[in-house]
Amino acid sequence: MGGQALEAAFREAGGRIVAALAARFRDLDMAEEAFAEACSRAAKAWPLSGTPNEPAAWLYRIAERAALDTVRRRQVRQTLFPDPPEPEPTAEELMSSDDAIIPEERLRLIFVCCHPAVAPDSRAALTLRLVCGLEIAEIARAFLTNDIALQQRLVRAKRKIREAGVSFEVPGPEHWPERLGAVLSTLEVAYSKAHEDAAGSGRHAGFAAEMLALTGLLASMMPDEAEVQALAAIIRFAEARRPARLAADGSMIPLSEQDPARWSAELIADARRHCGRALSIGSPAPRILNMMIHALWCGRKSLEDPPPWKAVLSAYDLLAGLQDNPIVTINRAVALAEVEGPEAALRAIAGLDPARFATFLPYQALLADLLARTGDVEGARAAFDRALALEPGMAEARYLAARRAALSGA
Amino acid sequence: MQYMLLIYENEEIFGGPEKNGPIMAEVGPKHFAFIGEMGAARLGGAGLKGTAFATTVRTENGQQAIHDGPFAETKEQLGGYYLIDVPDLDAAIALAKKVPLGRDGAIEIRPLIPMPPGMTR
Repeated sequence: MGGQALEAAFREAGGRIVAALAARFRDLDMAEEAFAEACSRAAKAWPLSGTPNEPAAWLYRIAERAALDTVRRRQVRQTLFPDPPEPEPTAEELMSSDDAIIPEERLRLIFVCCHPAVAPDSRAALTLRLVCGLEIAEIARAFLTNDIALQQRLVRAKRKIREAGVSFEVPGPEHWPERLGAVLSTLEVAYSKAHEDAAGSGRHAGFAAEMLALTGLLASMMPDEAEVQALAAIIRFAEARRPARLAADGSMIPLSEQDPARWSAELIADARRHCGRALSIGSPAPRILNMMIHALWCGRKSLEDPPPWKAVLSAYDLLAGLQDNPIVTINRAVALAEVEGPEAALRAIAGLDPARFATFLPYQALLADLLARTGDVEGARAAFDRALALEPGMAEARYLAARRAALSGA
Repeated sequence: MQYMLLIYENEEIFGGPEKNGPIMAEVGPKHFAFIGEMGAARLGGAGLKGTAFATTVRTENGQQAIHDGPFAETKEQLGGYYLIDVPDLDAAIALAKKVPLGRDGAIEIRPLIPMPPGMTR
């Protein structure tokens, strides 16, 4: 029982506890180490004495004490170079209010992790690790790197934050224009990395809940920022469709073939609220157009409704005008193939250098699909093979393998 | 005349960007002796933490961008400095963005190595 309770408390409150510790002690490593210490003590204590009534509060209190011990030890050791004044212990005060025991500091931690002084390729990894509590191995997989390289990247980023004196305050609204962009794109990358695998193992449920909570928090703190509302909407639309992404045999179902009846009406309604808010503020940003594409798809009521390909294509046309981005080119070609046919789509991606996109799964999967539809069986088979060699997630691999097997003459 | 002595060394020998390795333990006291020797000739000075802890505010065509890491171009040369004492990096960045420039340029923000108690810059 202790193990399950710990796992549940870790998933539900891990990010929040680490964020609260980091905000209090202004030290990411100390927060992580103290939380790990609390978890290891819980793993020993809970099976013997039973799970506490408030497991998260228990973990937070123990972690807080462990961090205070570390502070004291450092003070003794570093008498020549003393740390700046340490925060006052407030454990006693906190003991009295159980509900409010863990302060909500995740937003603050996100601004720290996504600081422009942190290397861009470290921001999402750091956010996934500290704010969402993903394991090193999970993050390394998502970023196509190995555990050691990722660990080094995180260590470098945390040292930079500490030694360069990155602020732990949420910046004032006057700084949002330059700070918010990094936060939103980091959350986007973090979400898409963890979202890629359609099968979404058990781990995903906790992560998705975390991303919904974080974007909801941002949206409520910044009701007048169109792009914040748009991101909250995008993540809700995407999560709403999760239940319909997998076929019974475990292969992925493309968006246009998903049964809208299986989408979460509740999340879609929630998404529409953010969507309406974003549109009322008005902004021509790419993120708003991406939100509209999600909204178009989630407007479908059943499989009998025609897929909104034409409107989706118009949105991608606008997007292509705003940013020269190969992902947009590829996604636009998917819609173009449905509206004008596969030949038009092949012409649209002809400008992409095949060598540069040789290892880019969406490109190979699209190319395979388009070649198959134009009757180029040999070309399609080769492209499916290249796509499958890129080791897609289980659900995508099954889908691609089935499409390859269905090629005439295969 | 006033002069600035800029110290260039391979930072890697100092045991990481915190510069708290054995070489620093060896060179540190020599600096303190040198400070004594300079007497009134010395107006100030400090050790800098390594470039891994640097942040740069770059201005290009009037656009400012903040990035992780040291100044890395070769077409510009060191032309001046300000020594500031502010609560955190964000405050340092805010001031760095206001440093007047002729045209394009960069302001590299480097944290100082703290001085031992009793020593002044």
